[in-house]
Amino acid sequence: MTKSTRVFSIFSLILLAILLVSLFYLQVIRGEYYQQVAESNIFRIRRVFATRGEIYDNKYRPIVQNIPSHDLYLTTNKIGDLNALARFLFLHLQIEEKELMEIVQKQRFKTYEEILIADNIDYEKVLSLSEYLNYYPELTFRIGSTRDYLYPNHFSGYVGRINEEEYEKYYREDYSLNGYIGKTGLERYYEVLLRGKDGKEIVQVDSRGRSLGFFSQEEGYLKALNGLSLVLTIDNDLQNFCDKVFPSHLKGALVVSDIRTGGILAYVSKPDYDPNIFMQRISPEVWKELNHKNKPMLDRVIHATYPPGSVFKPLTAGCGMEKGLVNRNTRFSSCGGGFKYGNRYFKCWLHSGHGITNVIQALTQSCDVFFYELSLKLSLDEFKDYAVRSGFYGKTGIDLPNERRGFFPDTEWYKKKYGPSIGISGHKVNLSIGQGEILTSPIQMNAYYAALANKGQWIQPHLLKQTVGRSRLTASEVQPLKKMKLPLSDKDMALILEGLYSVCNAPNGTARVVQVPGAKTFGKTGSAENSMGKTTHAWFCGHIETDKPEIAVTVFMENAGGGGSIAAPVAKQVFDYYIGNIEDIKRTVAIPAQFRTAEDEEEALDEEFIPFDESEIEESLSEEEGEE
Amino acid sequence: MINRKKFDFVLLGLLILLILIGCIAIYSASTTVVSGFKGTQNYWWRQIIFAMVALVGLMLVLWLPMPIFDILILPAFIANILALIMVLFTPAVSGAHRWFSIGGIHFQPSESAKLLSILVIARNISRDGYSDYRKMFNGFAIMLIPIILIMIQPDIGTILVFFVSLIAMLVAADVPLFYILLILSPAISVVASIHWLGIVLWLVFLIGILILSRLSWVTITVAGIGNAFVSLVMPVLWMGLKDYQQNRILTFLDPTRDPLGAGYQIIQSKIAIGNGSIFGKGWLGGTQKNMNFLPEHHTDFIFSTIGEEFGFFGSIILLGVFAFFFARMIRAASELKVLERKVATSGIFAYLISQSFINIGMNIGLVPATGIPLPFISYGGSNLLFNTLSVAVVLKYMNERGFMK
Repeated sequence: MTKSTRVFSIFSLILLAILLVSLFYLQVIRGEYYQQVAESNIFRIRRVFATRGEIYDNKYRPIVQNIPSHDLYLTTNKIGDLNALARFLFLHLQIEEKELMEIVQKQRFKTYEEILIADNIDYEKVLSLSEYLNYYPELTFRIGSTRDYLYPNHFSGYVGRINEEEYEKYYREDYSLNGYIGKTGLERYYEVLLRGKDGKEIVQVDSRGRSLGFFSQEEGYLKALNGLSLVLTIDNDLQNFCDKVFPSHLKGALVVSDIRTGGILAYVSKPDYDPNIFMQRISPEVWKELNHKNKPMLDRVIHATYPPGSVFKPLTAGCGMEKGLVNRNTRFSSCGGGFKYGNRYFKCWLHSGHGITNVIQALTQSCDVFFYELSLKLSLDEFKDYAVRSGFYGKTGIDLPNERRGFFPDTEWYKKKYGPSIGISGHKVNLSIGQGEILTSPIQMNAYYAALANKGQWIQPHLLKQTVGRSRLTASEVQPLKKMKLPLSDKDMALILEGLYSVCNAPNGTARVVQVPGAKTFGKTGSAENSMGKTTHAWFCGHIETDKPEIAVTVFMENAGGGGSIAAPVAKQVFDYYIGNIEDIKRTVAIPAQFRTAEDEEEALDEEFIPFDESEIEESLSEEEGEE
Repeated sequence: MINRKKFDFVLLGLLILLILIGCIAIYSASTTVVSGFKGTQNYWWRQIIFAMVALVGLMLVLWLPMPIFDILILPAFIANILALIMVLFTPAVSGAHRWFSIGGIHFQPSESAKLLSILVIARNISRDGYSDYRKMFNGFAIMLIPIILIMIQPDIGTILVFFVSLIAMLVAADVPLFYILLILSPAISVVASIHWLGIVLWLVFLIGILILSRLSWVTITVAGIGNAFVSLVMPVLWMGLKDYQQNRILTFLDPTRDPLGAGYQIIQSKIAIGNGSIFGKGWLGGTQKNMNFLPEHHTDFIFSTIGEEFGFFGSIILLGVFAFFFARMIRAASELKVLERKVATSGIFAYLISQSFINIGMNIGLVPATGIPLPFISYGGSNLLFNTLSVAVVLKYMNERGFMK
């Protein structure tokens, strides 16, 4: 036997002996103990659900709250009579047998885990079902939490049970099949912030309360971290007013934003729906209502795009100014109610015509011919490039999921669509007044008009102001806000604003109804022809200034008529309400006690502290408390 | 291609037996029966396909003429090192850069690196006229290349296995045992530094052995001072670590400190094995696998299924097969007369036995959880392939022995 053979043999024998002794101890000496543990299945991890963050308006008034709910759980390995259970669940909770079988089959590797099979059950139903539960030990009621949406809206979105697809995608992020996930709106967009982190707890106590003692109690416990609550830029009062003021029989959108911050103050899309209906099993009637031809689920602020019509004209004017084609004194041929180009005749909306106008008058009266003629001097691709730089075409980047892109055609697009020999000028004439293939969403319009009012500074529209709770983050800390400068010189901008002012204030302005005592109003109306119906879409976009720019308002109404007669009066009411309640809307509110952090408290105490003597500190602390 | 008189049929038979036991265990580990529903995931037949591929690979190694086999080792090693570098630039899979994915087949270059470095080191340190120092130095230097590359990918278990193999090869290459002790001494110093008495006893023991081995006074002084330094510096380093860093190391050594993570798995594994008791629950009769306690009960924790279903007797039989298998490997190492082949066989032996011990030890809570699978038993293609190929190399050496000398 060589030396290495000896060493290897001894080495192997030692390892073998160690394993044999350990296995003998584990399986023979302690075997009975482990058999008991295994049979009673007491050792396992239980999830402690984190509380989802709530959603508040900018004065900490609730928009979305948590409320307790009654949930029914199933543990598959305790099922006695599967058929009886299926009948019971179908009778009382309308759960189909097929559905139940699927759950049982899917959970076959987790037979000791509780599965949520029905959530948010009415309390009366809970009471009536409770007496049957003795026959079904596999069922357990537990108190959970569900969401309460305080008013119908399109921005909050709603949560729902995580479905299989989502679970496949996100299970690595520690989602439970029993858990909820944000499905749309802010609930979806800020899922990561709202959700928090579930805790875990080791269950190692048998039915008689004896601990298995594998771990100490505090070792086997991981505290749940609650989600962050969101404070929005929305103002509940203004939101409520806008909701009421929007004519109930019309479809459309109303957006109010704070010009200096880009924060959205009111966000209305009509018709709307109550997100609370998604917190329960949806009945067929409700489902039918949601799929009504008016599309109440459609968020018309960001999920739909429309031809903008005349509200697009400031952009056409701006483009002309940038190219040096338009200044205060530029005049084109006289408007006689239309414009002949080639063998086509483009009508102005006013049959009698506007005569010769400069850019300010053209905006004031919304003369189409001025812009038709300007468009012939612009190249289509430069025009598109200008629109892109002004925040149209793409997405604004608002903090909501699935925003729809705007659209602006270019030469290439026309060639692809109509063949290489297409004449583009006719399309250009249409585009100059916001008709034709161009599509924008109300949010894009609002962001553009807010930027005009804000010295050309375009700010990404957003709903989140800050988070409260475990950590306090501002909107730009969560996600940097995109900002850009509109392609307009100060002089040109002043010219356009003069036009917008005159729209609302000149005797022949199309929006002369929009005048508010004590403030200056600016705006532009639009009546966009469209393929959805004979009646035009009514638009109004504008802003109001006191000593400085305040809010930008965008009103959009599907197939409602003229912008000046239908949309502008609604905007006036919003301006009136704002100026009438300006003190109340702009007041700042102290952060509520439950969101104050230790640092906030410390700040208040800071100056009192001279930490020399511990007893002194305690004294000063107790004094503080006494004062409070 | 097989020489009937020299070929080790017993070793091959044991290898196939182990793979079969693995397939049976994997079948059970991926099957559950719940209120009438029986479900099996398709791991077991995939493992059978892997086994077929591995056995074809084994035949290829046996079929390859010896001179060509010898020539191929070095280029293959270099190509493997390049692959290890390239894998660092692939997208991470569950936090680690370990796999190449080509057409749905995952290849882990660190698996082949183990076998190839053993062969390269064996060749290098078996050269005539190398001093003991030279052997140790070269062995470490070569091993360091793949180790550094594997270190960048977090895989501590693999490094440990590498290290054990190197020690075994040095022993086989007739490096005196006190040198081995010298190599291991810093690691032992680290362990001893837990208590001052440990340090004192260890240093006395070390210096005593070195004096008895009649090493030069220079060596003894350097070793003594070096080790004393290591033992004294360790506590300082330890205190210098942040709390969470200390916690990570402590949790690695004692997983029960992390009841919601690794500790939970190990306790569940212990419950399963203990539940098997003396005779086991019978094939497919295990209940603990249903509890979803381990995502890996067909890979790293396959032994817990075997322990639960076949009990202490089953465990003894499996350990017996392994013991017999390793005894055959030791025999092979002693029969081989060409030093390079003897050293390589020793390295392969150490590489397989250390993996087996670490894995079973992890299942019964003796050693830290490192993600080392049980050779020939755990589910996994590249692991099974390269373990089988390493046995193929030993079989080939045995088959060809007497050819050269």
